[in-house]
Amino acid sequence: MEIMTKAFEALWQVLLVGLVLGVGLPALFALGVLSLNRNRRLVSVGAAGGEEITKPSAAGLTGAAICFGICVLAVIFGIVVIVYGKQLFGV
Amino acid sequence: MNEALYILCIVVVTALAFDFTNGFHDTANAMATSVATGALKPKVAVALSAILNLVGAFLSIQVALTVSNKIISIQGANGAPVPGLMGVPLLVIILAGLVGGILWNLLTWLFGLPSSSSHALFGGLIGATIAALGMGGVKWDGVISSIVLPAIFSPVVAGVVAGLGTWIVFKIVTNVPEQRRDAGFRWGQVGSASLVSLAHGTNDAQKTMGVITLALVAYGSWTNLHAIPVWVKVACALAIAAGTWVGGWRVIRTMGKGLVEISSPQGMAAETSSAVIILSSSHLGMALSTTQVASGSILGSGVGRRVPVRWGVFGRMVVAWVLTLPSAGIVGAVCWFVANAIGGALGVTVIFGVLVLGAAYMFIRSRRTPITPENVNAEWEGGLIPADEREPAKTAS
Repeated sequence: MEIMTKAFEALWQVLLVGLVLGVGLPALFALGVLSLNRNRRLVSVGAAGGEEITKPSAAGLTGAAICFGICVLAVIFGIVVIVYGKQLFGV
Repeated sequence: MNEALYILCIVVVTALAFDFTNGFHDTANAMATSVATGALKPKVAVALSAILNLVGAFLSIQVALTVSNKIISIQGANGAPVPGLMGVPLLVIILAGLVGGILWNLLTWLFGLPSSSSHALFGGLIGATIAALGMGGVKWDGVISSIVLPAIFSPVVAGVVAGLGTWIVFKIVTNVPEQRRDAGFRWGQVGSASLVSLAHGTNDAQKTMGVITLALVAYGSWTNLHAIPVWVKVACALAIAAGTWVGGWRVIRTMGKGLVEISSPQGMAAETSSAVIILSSSHLGMALSTTQVASGSILGSGVGRRVPVRWGVFGRMVVAWVLTLPSAGIVGAVCWFVANAIGGALGVTVIFGVLVLGAAYMFIRSRRTPITPENVNAEWEGGLIPADEREPAKTAS
């Protein structure tokens, strides 16, 4: 019985971390992509039938930089966990 | 050369072979989603994964020698072999276990089924231990808490997280034009897949390093229980990287194309879920299987995006997961009995020969209907083998 209780305790923690980071980071990344693609400024209109060339707005760029920046930090944190995990968490 | 040294050499070669199959069986965990969405070209994906596995294998600064302690009693609490097994007896148990693990890895690969390499290794070792020491040699509590429960929970937890992640991601980017959306998410896919590869190199290469070092301790040529020889580290890192680079295309195809159709945002959400769960679970007291987490994530991402999931394919995977431990165990046990009955160097040579023949047979079978970087992304249409390459149906015979 004891191993079951322990297992469920660990499971809850994994699920919780999973929900915060495993759902949160993709959502943040999606916000970054969204931010890059909202209110784009028109730079030039292509020839008839050609593609319009647009650029992200300044606010959009800033927002995206923040979102992607946090994602990059998360990846760096992931690498730290891979290398020093045992020292950090003792398991 | 004396007998023990000969057996040790066979064990080391077999352990490195296991490490190699570990690499190519698990390439899919990290790279299947990126290959399927075209975020990376197939050959680039496996090359990147191989490099990261190589780097990952060297990143492990604290390798535990206590690989098998939780599940079987062939090692003491400090990782040293049980005194009664020192020398050849332990080497034969390890060898029989490795043969069970490798043959199961190759069989599941032939069928394109992702299955846990660690479970195959542990299954083989458990079987060989039961054969050698009887049921008392197995710590069933440990088997339940570190193999059975994680196997049940891995796909569920990963599926829930990846499903929610995918659902939210698609809510957020619903108005972004598809082309721009996918261009952005491909970067996220590569990043998250790279993290999974790195973690894989660290976790899985360590197990083989531990096994080889254990064999060296049993033989008596290594006594330090807190370090592993440099050549073992280098050899294991190279073996897992080489395996990854060869690429288990059959497994990659099943995971990338067989379970669900994968889009870039979905692949990114699935791989991030895998990375987070693999990294957090190994430090929260329940190490979940990389393979099962990755499969569950991909499945969950399909459910989250509400695209049809091929439950039949998933069902076959689950059957393979359930069979992994007992199958590898039976092979491990049989190998131990054979080696023990014949005895000595000859017995070891015989089971090594069985391994080589079995591996060669499965390799030849796979060449009949090869899955390569060229056809790995062909439409699934109900089978691993692309429709236009299937052998004509044989008449009943």
